[in-house]
Amino acid sequence: MENQKFFYDNKIVKLFLLATIIWGVVGVIVGLLVALQLAFPFFNFGLEFTTFGRMRPLHTNAIIFAFVGNAIFGGVYYSLQKLLKARMFNDTLSKIHFWGWQLIIVLAAVTFVLGISTSKEYAELEWPIDILITIVWVVFGWNMIGTIVKRRVQHIYAAIWWYLATFLGVAILHVVNSFALPISLTKSYSIYAGAQDAVVQWWYGHNAVAFFLTTPFLGLMYYYLPKAANRPIYSYKLSIIHFWSLIFLYMWAGPHHLLYQALPDWAQALGVTFSIMLIAPSWGGMINGLLTLRGAWDKVRDSAVLKFFVVAVTAYGMSTFEGPMMSLKSVNQITHFTDWTIAHTHIAGMGWNGGLVFGMLYWIIPRLFKTKLFSEKLANAHFWIATLSILIYAIPLYWAAVTQWLMLREYTPEGFLAYPNFLETLTQILPMYTIRIIGGTMFLIGFLLMVYNLFKTMAAGSVEANEAAEAPALVSQGSRNPVTETIHRWMERRAVRFSIWVFVALAIGGAVEIIPMIFIKSNVPTIDSVKPYTPLELEGRDIYVSEGCYTCHSQVIRPFRWETDRYGEYSKIGEFVYDHPYQWGSRRTGPDLARAGLIGGPMYKNAAWHYNHFMDPQKMNEQSIMPNYAWFAKKEINLDLIPNKIRAMQTLGVPYEEGFDEFAVDDLMKQAQTIVDDLKNSNIEIEPTKQMVAMIAYMHKLGKDIGPPPVEIVETLEIAEPEELELLSGEEDLAAGKAIFATTCVVCHGADGKGIATFPDLTDEEWLTGSSPSEVYLSISNGNITKGMIPYKDQYSEKQITQLTSYILLTLNKNEDSK
Amino acid sequence: MSQENKNSELHDDKLMDHEYDGIKELDNPPPRWIMAIFYITIGWSILYAAYFFWLKVGDDQDAEYVRKSQKHEQKFQMVNMSSDDLVLLTDAEAIDEGKAIYGEMNCFACHGMNGEGNAIGPNLTDEYSISGCDFKSVFNIIKNGNPAKGMTAFKGQLSDERIQKVSSYVITLKGTNPANAKAAQGEKCEE
Repeated sequence: MENQKFFYDNKIVKLFLLATIIWGVVGVIVGLLVALQLAFPFFNFGLEFTTFGRMRPLHTNAIIFAFVGNAIFGGVYYSLQKLLKARMFNDTLSKIHFWGWQLIIVLAAVTFVLGISTSKEYAELEWPIDILITIVWVVFGWNMIGTIVKRRVQHIYAAIWWYLATFLGVAILHVVNSFALPISLTKSYSIYAGAQDAVVQWWYGHNAVAFFLTTPFLGLMYYYLPKAANRPIYSYKLSIIHFWSLIFLYMWAGPHHLLYQALPDWAQALGVTFSIMLIAPSWGGMINGLLTLRGAWDKVRDSAVLKFFVVAVTAYGMSTFEGPMMSLKSVNQITHFTDWTIAHTHIAGMGWNGGLVFGMLYWIIPRLFKTKLFSEKLANAHFWIATLSILIYAIPLYWAAVTQWLMLREYTPEGFLAYPNFLETLTQILPMYTIRIIGGTMFLIGFLLMVYNLFKTMAAGSVEANEAAEAPALVSQGSRNPVTETIHRWMERRAVRFSIWVFVALAIGGAVEIIPMIFIKSNVPTIDSVKPYTPLELEGRDIYVSEGCYTCHSQVIRPFRWETDRYGEYSKIGEFVYDHPYQWGSRRTGPDLARAGLIGGPMYKNAAWHYNHFMDPQKMNEQSIMPNYAWFAKKEINLDLIPNKIRAMQTLGVPYEEGFDEFAVDDLMKQAQTIVDDLKNSNIEIEPTKQMVAMIAYMHKLGKDIGPPPVEIVETLEIAEPEELELLSGEEDLAAGKAIFATTCVVCHGADGKGIATFPDLTDEEWLTGSSPSEVYLSISNGNITKGMIPYKDQYSEKQITQLTSYILLTLNKNEDSK
Repeated sequence: MSQENKNSELHDDKLMDHEYDGIKELDNPPPRWIMAIFYITIGWSILYAAYFFWLKVGDDQDAEYVRKSQKHEQKFQMVNMSSDDLVLLTDAEAIDEGKAIYGEMNCFACHGMNGEGNAIGPNLTDEYSISGCDFKSVFNIIKNGNPAKGMTAFKGQLSDERIQKVSSYVITLKGTNPANAKAAQGEKCEE
């Protein structure tokens, strides 16, 4: 058959690889900066632009989407052309893809620094950039599938299956997770709320790990590892099994980020089980890689490329075992919200992604520039420094995680939290953060050695922008021969059909989890006392979101005694129905704020405290590592946008009354004035339109609505005449009364009812308001505010108050008599 | 393993008849142990689901909390002191302990190192008080707080005995006249 002549596009590969190197350096330097900030708050520089809340998303996005993203595209564009014996489908698409992606990165960096963020982890970019990402991603897919269609090779190789899964997976995830209602060019509200948003977000977040950091890298491994080792792939069958099982199972595992949180048990169980089932499919990739090196281990000794690949594949195997273990609920209570997760992600990021990119760069650059690597010695030095740096980075963080967890759950012999102040547990692990900086610095040094080595290599050679090649045209083999051709083999030459099946495998898991969360009401039981945000609270929340406060503060309390004693009642699904987006966070570098607004709760602080704390956190707690937010007292809120925001919330189903948008600003100013007056009592002067006021209003809203433990109204009891009240002497009723007493009355009247300090003794003969059952009933029901007795009629049902009255008169008072 | 390696060295006849840009593939079956792990994890997942959802043996999240919380309360029998024992302590040892608690609980963050008060909390050394001057009032405000005014309730962090000690210490501060004392707030104490 006659050969066709064509040219490989090497220029586009070169551009992507250069971008990889440049953004990689930026991403690692910003990483080092956030590591410094965590150990020494000085490195927040007192500027709003460089606070941890803004820098941390910059670090994660720069590493994931800029460094790793460009590496994927470079690696794909190089290998795809060779594997398909075809030039990329369209040079213009290639260019749009490259420059479009770089534009996105620059816009991301600028918006993060300016404090524009949706605060959905790894999807922090605002809607105009999200649209741009969608367009550029479609361009990438179009270009790739176009190349596949015009290929000169009968079957598509395993690496390309992974590339296809990457394109389709990220497309689904990004589009579904990014649905938002825009308010302005720089602000939007996620269309999902609370627990629903959490499920969608972690379906996305977990699978961003899967389809941006795992599947493309498995594809790259299937090309570059056998090429560099010059060995055949160990098992074609294993390739097939682990490909399909991995892409199918991964999509289900997202809820393992939400264990013990405000999520239905069934969704959590899916997260646990599918994570465990992912062990073997993930390890399939590792062992196919390692076994491919059989007979080539002597080469590994000398070649930095292969050494990086071995570390990468090993780190992948470690992380994909550790991940499922962290998804077990009992383990998760240690690893979640602590530095364990940070260590885990860095083993995967520095080892698996870093190692594979470094190996790939050392392998492609000399070939692309038609020369030899400038220094194999430097590359080996880079390898050892990088590998060691991963250990020095991760081990202190594992140590820190366990230390902090042990401290958080430690009780004194008296039954109180041994370290009630969260800060004590953080101060304890700060030395570990300092050691981590050494690990990060070493990683950066290794990286810079590579940059020097590669630029020297590039200077010594030159790229042939269009590399000539030839191959015979593709002639379709026609229909399947059932004897000689397996179904999979047949599918491998029907690329479009193959892609459709990949899409189906990907779509199932997300659909099964997300659709019931949104459409089946019982999954999100509502709580009547939970009210929508007032305009001022909403404004404060928007500031909280745009500043990235979630990077340190969670807003979800797990049902552990050591969390409820520290932060208050554990979080319920119904509390978050007006949260667009949800703000549960994933790491507690500061304390949880879910109940920061519950007066009388363990986390409540008054307005003056918040003011002083935002102005200078170290003044309040010398050991605090929180950056200061003094500009909250200077920056104005934008009143013009308030009506828009209210209308947007109405569109999303938040029950503000019709026409509320017109009064929203008035309402905001009124509420702001109460906070201003409150601050004035502490000699703090501030105008009501400053961001500070909105932030204080939001802090005071958090967790407030749930109030005392939810009351179950069993039945209403008619009391026509108070005189006729009959005490309930049944065992159950007295127990119910006792339970209410123990949670509520005990605060003032003491556990034995003898009264604390100035509050009256309930066990003696003296009664301030009368001792008959109905008099006691009315005293509880209506209270006596001037004397400090709270009216309980809005908090407890009539039956409950009767039970309480009965307990007081029949049990507490009688006990005393009998003595 | 080494045996297996040697064997597969000979197995280059397992090379399949295709190649992609020079990459060949072998027709090895997946190692049996990896398939075993796969089937075991699937089986484990079915059992897990059965345990919690079909047989309903396992507790759901709320029930688990209630169970563990009860166990916690049994372990630490949390009792309050009776009001008869709650009296002002004057022995030096108790006062010293009270002083230590004052530091440990960060009382100084709002009330100053020497009780002189600051932007947040009132002066504890003068003749005035917002919530009462006698021992019971001081005990009460420390135990139950006044959240609306910014005073934390310490009942979740301190036992009655420790509150008694820190209250006794606070009462010794009266009349010490420290530097930078905050202006008086509240009502004058009756002597």
